[in-house]
Amino acid sequence: MSGILVNCAGNSLRFSPGTSLPQPKSTRSHNGTARFPTGANSFRASAQTLNAEPAVTESVRRRASSLYELLKVNETASLPEIKTAYRSLAKVYHPDASESDGRDFMEIHKAYATLADPTKRAIYDSTLGARRRRVQVGAMGRAGRAYSTTRRWETDQCW
Amino acid sequence: MAEPAYTVASDSENTGEEKSSSSPSLPEIAVGIDIGTSQCSIAVWNGSQVHILRNTRNQKLIKSFVTFKDEVPAGGVSNQLAHEQEMLTGAAVFNMKRLIGRVDTDPVVHASKSLPFLVQTLDIGVRPFIAALVNNAWRSTTPEEVLAIFLVELRLMAEAQLKRAVRNVVLTVPVSFSRFQLTRIERACAMAGLHVLRLMPEPTAVALLYAQQQQMTSHDNMGSGSERVAVIFNMGAGYCDVAVTATAGGVSQIKALAGSAVGGEDILQNTMRHIAPRPDKEGSGSLRVATQDAIHRLSKQDSVQIEVDFGDGDAVSKVLDRSEFEEVNKNVFEECERLVVQCLRDAKVDVDDLDDVIMVGGCSYIPKVRAIVSNVCKKEEIYKEVNPLEAAVRGAALEGAVTSGIHDPFGSLDLLTIQATALAVGVRANGNKFVPVIPRNTMVPARRDLFFTTVHDDQKEALIVVYEGEGEGVGENHLLGYFKIVGIPAAAKGVPEINVCMDIDASNALRVFAAVLMPGSKSPVVPVVEVRMPTVDDGHGWCAQALSAKFGSALDLVTLQRK
Repeated sequence: MSGILVNCAGNSLRFSPGTSLPQPKSTRSHNGTARFPTGANSFRASAQTLNAEPAVTESVRRRASSLYELLKVNETASLPEIKTAYRSLAKVYHPDASESDGRDFMEIHKAYATLADPTKRAIYDSTLGARRRRVQVGAMGRAGRAYSTTRRWETDQCW
Repeated sequence: MAEPAYTVASDSENTGEEKSSSSPSLPEIAVGIDIGTSQCSIAVWNGSQVHILRNTRNQKLIKSFVTFKDEVPAGGVSNQLAHEQEMLTGAAVFNMKRLIGRVDTDPVVHASKSLPFLVQTLDIGVRPFIAALVNNAWRSTTPEEVLAIFLVELRLMAEAQLKRAVRNVVLTVPVSFSRFQLTRIERACAMAGLHVLRLMPEPTAVALLYAQQQQMTSHDNMGSGSERVAVIFNMGAGYCDVAVTATAGGVSQIKALAGSAVGGEDILQNTMRHIAPRPDKEGSGSLRVATQDAIHRLSKQDSVQIEVDFGDGDAVSKVLDRSEFEEVNKNVFEECERLVVQCLRDAKVDVDDLDDVIMVGGCSYIPKVRAIVSNVCKKEEIYKEVNPLEAAVRGAALEGAVTSGIHDPFGSLDLLTIQATALAVGVRANGNKFVPVIPRNTMVPARRDLFFTTVHDDQKEALIVVYEGEGEGVGENHLLGYFKIVGIPAAAKGVPEINVCMDIDASNALRVFAAVLMPGSKSPVVPVVEVRMPTVDDGHGWCAQALSAKFGSALDLVTLQRK
């Protein structure tokens, strides 16, 4: 099942003070051609820059249905555990440590920024149950469209 | 990352030459270089630890200057001055780090006009004219050229000692450097045949060294999340930088950065002005040498005797005590305090949660500076495990090894720096306001966007003017570049949605995207524009004025208010 984060990346969003370019449908990003130039020195034809959004290909986000899953921790994880998880993931996904383009790491960092802040984490936790139910409903119909009430900047800026 | 099938190197000069061609089978370990305003050093990972190279005079700290005495200019690496005064005859150009990438309206450039070589300003927002006195004639040069000459000497010295070609480098830079100044550093490196892998803000290089030390000392509880939070204060001759870092398991996460072009040079000039008998003596070489010496001695004793003979019958004999010195430099010390306070606030770190306070750079020896930092941070003890004059270059060498993909069997290179942006980047909108798209202290890599809209009915074009800095008005910030988006469909003002997205990758390259959307449409109505920034060359002041004179507010944007 496609998770929360994927859903929010796969939809064009509307909220103040403004949000991303229309995101490509996830079907489009499956084929991998939607990769957008990330090499610091490369320059590609402008046609490709239309896909200037998350190529949600084989990324960590695809498999994660919650920020906890993204960080690979339990929902009861303590702050030190979250920090440790963040650091060990950083060593794998940070562009300096891997061949990755940084998009995955930005996601991991956003998850960390939410879960490492007790207030933000409490808000996120309170929305988690509601999100789960809605994802199930959404899986049958139009997933993710109704999320505006639980959306926040950190988790929604998915690109 | 697989090489894209068709890659054309951008022809903008600031990318340096053949950046993408360096893919040898054996990774070349990048050397770390700390180019200081007054002193430079160079270090490299030797397979088991960081090794600082020495010049032929066995110095690890090499004075940063270039003399134009003969046909061939000579830098401080190979050149030995007969006397310190020789640097002050006008034949030597130094303090290039204070001049590089600055325009002639910049107060820092104006402060440099009292230096013995020629710094001429026209106050119109162009590069200042810089020249060295050679055989009683002013020979013109540029800060980039001076830096390049110096870097070539450093490179040749390193190549001779390492017995291999040296090409890849990691350099440390001040936190307050704009992206335009960074391109000037890259340009100087390219002129010197060096390929820049990373330009690291100085305190973040120190943070990496600290992360390594913490990892080595706490191997047992590594990974248990026991992070250590440290304030790093770095003050050299030209700049003062502060960083707050959270470190655990070899990962140094930069929580906030703050920096300003204030340093030992300002302290020196303030003190010289205080000592000089008459304003016309303020630029005197002998006064400069005597004052510098006095400031150094004041770090160890409460008062010093200063004797200067100007050689023309004038002389100064004065006792300077520490409290007088501190009063004279009040403005500098207040700025130091402000930076530390701001950085702690930005990092949202409580002083009670600080584990260490690290002080590096030449000015960290000044008792008043130490007192200020330890007072703000409420820490009696300053971290002792780093050499204040070597920490930055050691950190740069570690980063050089890490980014070159070197692994150490003992885990000493199992390190990572998670950088943050030192300055906000944004665009001009809402009149002459600076609207940040990526705020200061955002984790890098970063990607953010904002929506703007038109200010006139049927406005078909819009000007995207990109600035970097912290000021509210665009005038207080650095202009990075500008471009026009065209083909906005005819519509009432406030209807078209102009999406401006900024992307900073791990190597700190900034790209700006702009797309035109109409309500209800799912994709941009005209091709998205992608621009690598900065695009401006010299003469920023002129560019901004010319744009304003040509277009006025005709192509303006305002932030889009969603209903």
